Amino acid sequence: MKINAGNLKKGDFILYQNEIWQVQKAEFYAPGKGAALMKTKIWNVKTGKNIDITFKSGEEVEVVEVESRLMVFLYKDNENLYFMDEKTFNQYSVPLTAVSGLEKYLKEGEKLYVYIFNDVPLSVRPPLSVRLKVVKAEEAVKGDTVSSAKKPVTLETGAVIMAPLFIKEGDIVIVNPETGEYTGREGK
Amino acid sequence: MKIKVNFSNLKNHQNFLFIIRLIEEFLQKKGYLKIDLPVLSPTLIPESYLEVFETDFRYFDKREKLYLTPSPELFLKRLLVEGIGSCYYLGKSFRNSDPPSSLHSFEFTMLEFYKTGVNYMEIADEVLEMLKYISFKIFNKREFYYKNKRVLLRRWEFFTVSQAFYRFAGINSDELFDKKKFMKKAKYKGYNIENFSYEEIWSQIYTQEIEPKLGIRGFPTLIYNYPKEFAALAKLNPDGKTAQRFEFYINGIELGDCYTELSDWKEQEDRFAEEYLERKRNKKINHPIDKGFIQALKYGLPDCAGIAIGVERLAMVFLGFDSIDKLKVIDIIL
Repeated sequence: MKINAGNLKKGDFILYQNEIWQVQKAEFYAPGKGAALMKTKIWNVKTGKNIDITFKSGEEVEVVEVESRLMVFLYKDNENLYFMDEKTFNQYSVPLTAVSGLEKYLKEGEKLYVYIFNDVPLSVRPPLSVRLKVVKAEEAVKGDTVSSAKKPVTLETGAVIMAPLFIKEGDIVIVNPETGEYTGREGK
Repeated sequence: MKIKVNFSNLKNHQNFLFIIRLIEEFLQKKGYLKIDLPVLSPTLIPESYLEVFETDFRYFDKREKLYLTPSPELFLKRLLVEGIGSCYYLGKSFRNSDPPSSLHSFEFTMLEFYKTGVNYMEIADEVLEMLKYISFKIFNKREFYYKNKRVLLRRWEFFTVSQAFYRFAGINSDELFDKKKFMKKAKYKGYNIENFSYEEIWSQIYTQEIEPKLGIRGFPTLIYNYPKEFAALAKLNPDGKTAQRFEFYINGIELGDCYTELSDWKEQEDRFAEEYLERKRNKKINHPIDKGFIQALKYGLPDCAGIAIGVERLAMVFLGFDSIDKLKVIDIIL
């Protein structure tokens, strides 16, 4: 389906230079020296690469219908993440290159949306947040940099994030898997 | 649309107002006279790419159309004709069809100032001095950091539009000023040119390939001498191909737009007619052309140059934010 670039929204999938990209950011821009433009940041579902592209707002862009299907994350190896569709028991693999670091925050057995186009899995929709157990946290040293007041902690998936000084081993922390940022602690 | 209260922005908002105070302090020290102006006008300068807000004034059974001003230019130039001398307006301006984004708001604070007896490059000196003044008052230094990048205000980094197109987009001046060659080159570069005009493609390449490269090498960038198609109300250079217009950038963000003002009423009238037709073609609101503006130019506009600066954007850069909404305690959002 073709739409005017002016109507692009975050989350849309588009065909650009024969590849499928997801719109990460779409901002209207009126430079005052010509017609309005759409400044976008698009993400290549295959390579995980982000690029900035400016479209004319009246320019036609091919939008593709990509399905997001809930699947169980089974395991990963050095190249792929493996998922299973619980309805059909079919297994799908998503290349690590397409998830750009997300794998560090995924637990086996977790349910996630996988983007599918023509029955080929493209990528994984990053959850807004993940809850992970802290398996290693150093005791905070008093007098450490006051401004940041954060320390590295290791999570059950092996990922290391910066968390506030009060976080201890065994705590469940809430992390934004796209940025690896600590956003909160599960209440006790 | 709805009203959003961002009370946690109160401190930022105070800082924004402080920057406004610094701007006014600077301009008044330099002898610019402050003028307050109406924001509703019965006529406007036709600008093909701006959409306006339309309303009406009612009394008994009569109605008169009024428009929110997208810029105070039509008023300030009348005053310049009267002999007011160097002057400024700092207040609200309105641009319809600009959905709110990190750099846009349909209602925003504009600083527009004019200096008589000078051309655009002398305004550039004045702007740099103003940036230094603000920086010194906030950071006690004539430099600051924006997104971890140093911005030294010692001098401008200069590019003509033609140099910038060559350096950042590989388009030489021969191709830049020849519409046919330009479109051919754009197509070769992968742009979709079908049914689009030179102005549209130019603008797309400028935004995609040039803008992000401006103001990122330690100094603010001043880019000048735009093709005559983008002359708007600027005087042309003797080369006949470019206009005495500059814009300045910090970290890829356009902060101001300056012209040596066109004083030739005949040429201005012709440009108005073109812009009017373009507005009609684009099905924009058909507001009356400001004929009084042409009358004023006929009387005689003194040699002068002027600049419009988006105050929220400027404050955003000095305060280290990446969106103008961080400065607002009350925001109207979609």
